[in-house]
Amino acid sequence: MNVLLRLQHFFAPLGHYASYVLAYFFETLFLVIFVMVVLIAMIYLFRKYMARLQLRIGPNRVGKFGLLQLIADSLKLVGKESILPSGRDDLPFRIAPVIVFMGLVMAFALLPYGSFYWIGSLTVTHSEVSLLLLFAAIAIMPIGEVLAGISSKNKYAIIGALRGVAKDISFEVPMMVSVLALVVMASARTQDPLDLSSLVSAQFIPFAIPQVIGLGVFFIAMVARASYSPFDMSESDSELVSGHSTEYTGMRFGMFYMGLFGSIFLGSMMVSILYLGAYNGPYDSYAGFIYLLIKTLILVFISFTIWLTVPRIRIDKFVNMGWKYLLPVSFANLILAGVLTLGLGI
Amino acid sequence: MNAPQSIPENAKWVELNFGPQHPSTHGVLRLRAKLEGEIVRELEPIIGYLHRNAEKICELDYYCDAMIYFDRMDYVGAMNMEVGYLEAAEKLLGIPPPERAQWIRVIMAELNRIASHLVWAGAFGLDIGMLTPFFYCFVEREKILRIFAEACGSRQETNYMSIGGVYQDFNEKIIYMIEEFINQFPKKLEDIFNAFVKNDIFISRNKGIGILEPEVAIDYGVTGPMLRASGVEYDVRKAEPYLVYDKLNFDIPVSYKKDNLARFLVRFEEMRQSIKILKQAIKKIPDGPYFNPKAKKSLMIRLRGEGEVYARTESSKGEFGVYLVGDGGVKPYRVRVRSPTFKNLSVLPVLAKDQMIADMIAISGTIDLVFGEVDR
Repeated sequence: MNVLLRLQHFFAPLGHYASYVLAYFFETLFLVIFVMVVLIAMIYLFRKYMARLQLRIGPNRVGKFGLLQLIADSLKLVGKESILPSGRDDLPFRIAPVIVFMGLVMAFALLPYGSFYWIGSLTVTHSEVSLLLLFAAIAIMPIGEVLAGISSKNKYAIIGALRGVAKDISFEVPMMVSVLALVVMASARTQDPLDLSSLVSAQFIPFAIPQVIGLGVFFIAMVARASYSPFDMSESDSELVSGHSTEYTGMRFGMFYMGLFGSIFLGSMMVSILYLGAYNGPYDSYAGFIYLLIKTLILVFISFTIWLTVPRIRIDKFVNMGWKYLLPVSFANLILAGVLTLGLGI
Repeated sequence: MNAPQSIPENAKWVELNFGPQHPSTHGVLRLRAKLEGEIVRELEPIIGYLHRNAEKICELDYYCDAMIYFDRMDYVGAMNMEVGYLEAAEKLLGIPPPERAQWIRVIMAELNRIASHLVWAGAFGLDIGMLTPFFYCFVEREKILRIFAEACGSRQETNYMSIGGVYQDFNEKIIYMIEEFINQFPKKLEDIFNAFVKNDIFISRNKGIGILEPEVAIDYGVTGPMLRASGVEYDVRKAEPYLVYDKLNFDIPVSYKKDNLARFLVRFEEMRQSIKILKQAIKKIPDGPYFNPKAKKSLMIRLRGEGEVYARTESSKGEFGVYLVGDGGVKPYRVRVRSPTFKNLSVLPVLAKDQMIADMIAISGTIDLVFGEVDR
């Protein structure tokens, strides 16, 4: 029994229709709260971890161990004046950060979270094509970034948006091809391999073992999607000030910032769902969500370490890498998946 | 609401303005770049945002007062600036510093050279997107600044040396701190070095980028690590030794690769050579007076100089020259500084032509710009 049905049972006295509406409403609310808590925890962890790597202490003033620092920061961001540049395209400029944040929340709504003790399955959306929907939701986020870059009427922002487009098209094709290989692998064991839950249940061993090349390509793509170092060309602070978010202040900037950390968490979660067996763990228990979180957090800290230690790659080299190396490699990986599944029957 | 921006027909380039407030311009450099896509076709550095008239102010003050303005020129390597000014002023005033003061000056100058190169390495890491080595560099620099604070009470703009000697003698504690520093620093330096060069992306971002031919470098008056990275073995410490550099055994690192990576390696090798100098100097430092009695504090403002001198020293950025003219009064008639970063910056348009924006930023990072010195 999942969260939605539990909520519907709770509201059942109100009637069939009203109970479903309320159930969906509260489920969405829980999801948004989950995303916000994740983001605040992520930023806190990042700042503490970064400080530890850089021989500093990190936030330690607000609350015990600085735990309330991020809440204070977000309150500050909400309270700040949002300065709008005079030459902007008004509507795109205002909705661009919302699009980024919306794409993020939508992507979180489509993930299978596994079960958690008495609550049961935490999965929000049940669809037979949730894999496709997930990548559709992820593809929304670059639109917001490009829109922000163009509507700011700022040269740094436009160059950042151009770089962002060049970057996105060069990693998204290899990413999709490497995911296709997973579908091929899963199709031997499940009826609908486009459903993320079936894709997870089809992982008799974590797909990371037969699909290690695909894992590499997908992880690189996820780093590029979140756009942190080494693939932060589109908002490289030493060249383009802040890329597409140069002209943003206050909570609008905060949404881009949350989009960055949310993308890191989302990318780590997707890698652990698609390649590391998601909520399957050594002990068959009801704590699948905990397994998923542990796997995700390990990947998050790997991402942070990469972010903090690696210099930025140049945009032309990244585009080269995307088209000349990642794409052929991911196609070879697709063939490998076909051989493994259809030829050897693994 | 907003008028459509008119774009001229046949427009081929975009003009982009970097700075003077920009995260990677090391202060207040302004760069006007004509971009064709990502490629910089023309670059014009615009300076003067930190111009403080230091030379003119020096002319209005007594000889001993000019020191603090020199401290504030290359504020990252203030000791080297002081050495440069005193070389000229003491020659003009005829007050040679005693032996012990010269050794103290060498030790302080070399310590500050290390500190300056560490700042450069950290900032260069930030320029190409490495966040972490910056802090490792600054932790080591902090130890040097503690030594300075122990010697003269000040950390960055030290005002430690004075005409005819130094402000305070070395005591046991300073000697101990320096020995402790030079014992532990080489290992830390290798750690920082490895954090950079064991990274393939770092190598690919710097190898073969920003090639500075030695002829061009000499034409533009480039000196210091930039010149030595282009294969010209020229260092004032060897070519025209001042203080006691002729009594010390050290090498001049030279690279023939001429690119960003060469400049990086030369600077790191210079730090290792500075440690070598420090190890010798801390052993050889003689006893004796630490200032010339002719330049007692009470006599300081009565010092008179006549004639003209030009003294050059090797600061951490390059050849630092000071030209002094005295007319027999208590104040210099003319003070003129040949600042190395000003000359080094002038070659940036040549280096950055037809490079990508990211490379242009990396190249300007390798110049080691300090704007207090460029604008004075």
